[in-house]
Amino acid sequence: MIRLPSFAASRSLVPLRPSQQALVRTFSASTSASKPDKQVVVSKSALPKDYPLPSERKPQNVIDYAMTTLDAIANWARQGSFWPMTFGLACCAVEMMHLSGPRYDQDRVGIIFRASPRQSDIMIVAGTLTNKMAPALRQVYDQMPEPRWVLSMGSCANGGGYYHYSYSVVRGCDRIVPVDVYVPGCPPTSEALMYGILQLQKKMRLQKITRLWYRSR
Amino acid sequence: MSSSIIRTIRNAYRIGFKEYMAQMMTIGDTKAGTLVGVDRFGNKFYENKDEDEIHLRTRWVMYKEKYYDVSQLEPGWHGWLGYLVDTPPNALDAAHTSVQKVPKPMRIHNGTGTPDAYVPYSTVKPKFQSWTPTIKERV
Repeated sequence: MIRLPSFAASRSLVPLRPSQQALVRTFSASTSASKPDKQVVVSKSALPKDYPLPSERKPQNVIDYAMTTLDAIANWARQGSFWPMTFGLACCAVEMMHLSGPRYDQDRVGIIFRASPRQSDIMIVAGTLTNKMAPALRQVYDQMPEPRWVLSMGSCANGGGYYHYSYSVVRGCDRIVPVDVYVPGCPPTSEALMYGILQLQKKMRLQKITRLWYRSR
Repeated sequence: MSSSIIRTIRNAYRIGFKEYMAQMMTIGDTKAGTLVGVDRFGNKFYENKDEDEIHLRTRWVMYKEKYYDVSQLEPGWHGWLGYLVDTPPNALDAAHTSVQKVPKPMRIHNGTGTPDAYVPYSTVKPKFQSWTPTIKERV
């Protein structure tokens, strides 16, 4: 029995194509049938492909508008005070220091490095994460208050990089902590890290915080 | 002196209040110059190489989109903006421009966070499986 998402039939943002309407009708007919074991065969081309992301959904009613405005204010505040916990492990940390220098001046976008995980929002994992360091990384991540983000910087933090086959290196810091943005490079330039930070700000901007407890449909 | 109050007032007088506010929201500086060109996505490129602009701050862009991103620029103009070339793409002669018979699909933004996001997938058989721990019966 193929189970369709419950919002497939009731969603109104994107009008259903004729093939999808047929699909929904087939499904409702099969649920009322006496034999529930019967498999509904749906061709792959008939499946809907254009579900909007939660960040793309347009507000529908007054409450939606109010909630998206509140979200926008909270997201604006989060983007404006971007305090990273620096987890500088290797040469990537040097590029991270360049970002804080006068040329790529990170203060102009509100980034202040904090040495304490309890006062930081984002952790920038810059460099090779070894097996020995991994418990410390996880502990520091656990000490950070919510909401928290992780930016993985460089090949080593992304997937082990040059040391992928080493016996003592974690093959990517996403095996230890959930990662939001991966910045490629060995090491990434300061511009690349800045662009990764801009992407993380974009992610913050698209986040709908009130979606956690309110949903119009 | 790049950033003096006289320069700020002078440039603000030249560009007008609306452009002044737009620049303060994006660049954070007040700049006046000549409009060199507009790329096909509507971003405006300016230059001021005559006056007291600091080295490597003589070219700038005013984006069309509200949430701007450098990936929204046309590639040729992006090179001009980064001082890769001195001739802007709209001033190139015909010998230095390429005309493609088949139009390439243009991506005007970084797809991260949108349905255009890059999703890697592997078509080869995985070399290892996840471990399912089992407890043996004690004898």
